[in-house]
Amino acid sequence: MLEWILFAVCALLLFAAMVSFTGAVIGAIRFGFVMNSMHAAGIGDTFGILCLVVCLILSIGPGLNMMKLLVILVFLWFNSPVSTHFLIQVEYFTNKELYRFSDRIAGSKTNETASGEEK
Amino acid sequence: MSVSQAYHILFTAGLVWFAILIAVMLIKAIIGPGVTDRILAINMIGTMVICCILILSVLLDENYLTDVALIYAMISYIAVLILATVYIPANPKRKRFGEDVKREVEEGRRYVKEQRAEIRRKMEEEGFKGSTPPDMDGKEL
Repeated sequence: MLEWILFAVCALLLFAAMVSFTGAVIGAIRFGFVMNSMHAAGIGDTFGILCLVVCLILSIGPGLNMMKLLVILVFLWFNSPVSTHFLIQVEYFTNKELYRFSDRIAGSKTNETASGEEK
Repeated sequence: MSVSQAYHILFTAGLVWFAILIAVMLIKAIIGPGVTDRILAINMIGTMVICCILILSVLLDENYLTDVALIYAMISYIAVLILATVYIPANPKRKRFGEDVKREVEEGRRYVKEQRAEIRRKMEEEGFKGSTPPDMDGKEL
């Protein structure tokens, strides 16, 4: 009976991971501006991978494989913000139309920092 | 039905769903209009492939696949970083680059100013009286 309860918890966590990754994919496609898509992608990179790794750890039990799964979880949690930061820099340096968004998003401050001057 | 069979069905369903999501993101990576959309799609594909490898390592009961997933995570991270640094200038505060950006910003400001002046002219032609939306500097046109 206990193992069936454990299975139910595992199924719930895997379902949560699948839902969050589905949300990430739908957000990455439906949001027009790429910085909004990055926000959607972050959901899968943090909550989705957490649910998946906890589900797998519950299904295999303690051991060496559990530690490796936790290492992967921590590694991805450290990597995802850094990747997003670099992607935003790429968008900032490649999008020539960004000033048209800038007065809508952040006012005129964005244009001042875009000139590369020291504050 | 035993528990191991139930786990088998559960993880297989998860694998199938992740495969569908990877296919969708691959289409997004192909049609994505900009550079950043494509790198973002590749990043998400990498994360979902790592998920697939982790599920497979539990489904097939092969522990070494977890190591494969760790190495895949590292390589995916390095790939995104290197693809990003191709497009990021080495020294963004260099004078020439700053001047380029400043000129583009000035063009953008002039564009916005022209558009708003045109809107204002149309409003005056139609006989509208009242305050206009402020300029990008905060001043009224």
